[in-house]
Amino acid sequence: MAFSPVITHEAASSIKVTATKAKSLAVRTNSTSQNEALSEAKSGGQELAERLNQETKDKYVKDKKLGEGTYAIVYLGHLKADPSSLVAIKKIKVNTEYRDGLSMDAIREVKYLQELSHPNIIALHAVFSSKNQNLNLVLEFLPLGDLEILIKDSEGIRYGTAEVKAWMGMLGRAVWFCHENFVLHRDIKPNNLLIAADGEVKLADFGLARSFADPYRPMTSQVITRWYRPPELLFGARYYSGAVDVWSMGTVFAELILRVPFLPGNTDLHQLELICNAIGTPTEENWPGISKLDGYVKFDKAITVPIRGKDFYLSRFGTAGPVGVDLLMSMLALDPRKRCTARQMLEHKWWMTEPQPTAKEDLPKKSGGLEKMGDDLKRRGGEIEDGRGDKVARKLNFGAAK
Amino acid sequence: MSKPPARNGAPQRRPGEEDDICPVCKSSRYLNPNMRFLVNPECYHKMCESCVDRIFSQGPAPCPVAGCARTLRKQRFRRQTFEDLQIEREVDIRRRVAAIFNRRESEFQTLRDYNNYLEEVETLTFNLLYNIDVATTEEKLASYARQNAADIANNKIISAQESASTEAQIAAQKEQARLHREAARNEEDEERREKEEGRQEFINKIAASNEDPDKIAKVVLKKSTARRTAADKLRQQEAAKVDNASAPLFQIQGLKPVVRPEPQKAYDPFGDYSIKTQYYTLQTQYEHPWLENAKTDPKITAGGFDVGEYCARAMMEAFGGLGVFVEDEVARREEAAGADVGTTAAAMAAGDGKEVGGDVL
Repeated sequence: MAFSPVITHEAASSIKVTATKAKSLAVRTNSTSQNEALSEAKSGGQELAERLNQETKDKYVKDKKLGEGTYAIVYLGHLKADPSSLVAIKKIKVNTEYRDGLSMDAIREVKYLQELSHPNIIALHAVFSSKNQNLNLVLEFLPLGDLEILIKDSEGIRYGTAEVKAWMGMLGRAVWFCHENFVLHRDIKPNNLLIAADGEVKLADFGLARSFADPYRPMTSQVITRWYRPPELLFGARYYSGAVDVWSMGTVFAELILRVPFLPGNTDLHQLELICNAIGTPTEENWPGISKLDGYVKFDKAITVPIRGKDFYLSRFGTAGPVGVDLLMSMLALDPRKRCTARQMLEHKWWMTEPQPTAKEDLPKKSGGLEKMGDDLKRRGGEIEDGRGDKVARKLNFGAAK
Repeated sequence: MSKPPARNGAPQRRPGEEDDICPVCKSSRYLNPNMRFLVNPECYHKMCESCVDRIFSQGPAPCPVAGCARTLRKQRFRRQTFEDLQIEREVDIRRRVAAIFNRRESEFQTLRDYNNYLEEVETLTFNLLYNIDVATTEEKLASYARQNAADIANNKIISAQESASTEAQIAAQKEQARLHREAARNEEDEERREKEEGRQEFINKIAASNEDPDKIAKVVLKKSTARRTAADKLRQQEAAKVDNASAPLFQIQGLKPVVRPEPQKAYDPFGDYSIKTQYYTLQTQYEHPWLENAKTDPKITAGGFDVGEYCARAMMEAFGGLGVFVEDEVARREEAAGADVGTTAAAMAAGDGKEVGGDVL
């Protein structure tokens, strides 16, 4: 179990009991847990909350700005007590849409990150609010950029199956851990996979995450960046499961091998078309009940593509080997019920076949990740870069989700 | 007798080789100036190349020298390195023995052990050289080779690496010398050019002005001195750089054999994590009228919603609180807060080490 930059967080202060509705934010830090007892005296609580917040805030120093987006500003920072311990501080801007409170992204991020502690998931060290009630998340500092820059730099960076296996293993572990704790990430893509100083891949950006839904409670289908979105979401399914994240992992797996995005659709319909061509046309035969989905589009019989066989995958993804192609095929199964789960993915025999995954220290690295981390963290969930973000923009439709 | 320089590829001859006579076919160098003698390490009887071709081309045959009769093969004939065949044979034997007994001093605990070993090896070699107890000696040699095959191979690799690094070192030194020469030559050229320029400048100045030529000469001289000191400084820097660069090359020789890394642990896709339920066992099926519709409604199932996941979560939420004791948690939290675990829940989760109990979260 390895955490990359070792940051020691002091056991702060003597405060044990805390309670507050402090500024209506659930501001929790590693040393405080306000939500435990809300029934404290309100008058004292207000002050206490402010004091606690101030204490947390004073522990960190903001150094320089790494990046700024519409949603958040990312700073490089460090512990006041130890200048060598670097952290990233993500300051979420007061949102125009949610004037009265916090944007959902921020709440989701705090809510799920503070529950998940795993070497392959970005660590949330503390949360505090600064002036104007801006929310600041103190995140683990991951200086080596993300998987996207490694995939894109096909000139400078060379890697093989062993490296792909190592990266996929780390991604698989992160997603498995989320699902094991009943959290759906819903925005897995290469630029949300940040790389720590020791080469460990960490899943970041929980702005679209949510816990598994109760029965009969619909979720929004407008999640996951389009290129990585599974067919059931494109068909507007309101009841889904961890299988959506597995599909995203499958497309990331394919992208790691191809070194270009596997299914880069321009619109939702184009995305479906690409899926039909690459994997096969979803029909009632290979996906029972599909026609009942809200956004189901009927395909012309003439252009129906049969489910692609193993040979088709082998011709494109041959480098992963026949066993790797098996895994890829089961991750990219059209019917979410036939898709493997994150656990089944990690239990696959591909991990045991040659070549062994590369040790994380030996994985290819690229410098200049500092700015990249800034870029990655400032983004709002579900955007594609290159200025196409507006076209792809999907907002969480909370009104419909209720 | 003066020897003409070797022409048209005729092999260079040693003095006195002219009257060599092949002991087998009796042809002399006078008749065949390109005659070459070959020996076979089986018996070290000398004969000319054409004899070898003639006798052994059809396959193994007995040695034609009277009284020898060992079976020889053409493939093993080679040119002799030493004039004295006795020495040739000794060198061959020593080489063979050394290839098998290639233990290194570093492998022995004391110098005495090493010396004892060397003495034993020398006795073996001596026996082979002077044909004393050849059969038993050969047997000893063979059994040692069998028993220590791995060590022998290993030491062979080490010495191969050493000789390779020595070669690399020699090559690097050569390269360095070449660079030095080149630099010196460049500098010389530069100096000559500058001198030429200086003189030209001097002449021009004299021609252009009516100042005292001595004064002008002084100025020009000063300039060239400044240039020379700058060049000296540069050279010193260069030398320092070369020294630094070559320093590690010399250290390679005394290198101790590298300790082989431990065999890699089998890859665990789960990264040593395991999530187990502690207080309950999850059933595959839970019957509840409220869940029935969710299991069958295609609108719900086609999207991949899985009632089983809901049940697992419900169970976890029902039993998760068991085994959580606030006092323990506080103590653990304070302990963990010193480590690099950020949040309260994270500290809790990390509290029981690698095994994160699903019910504790």
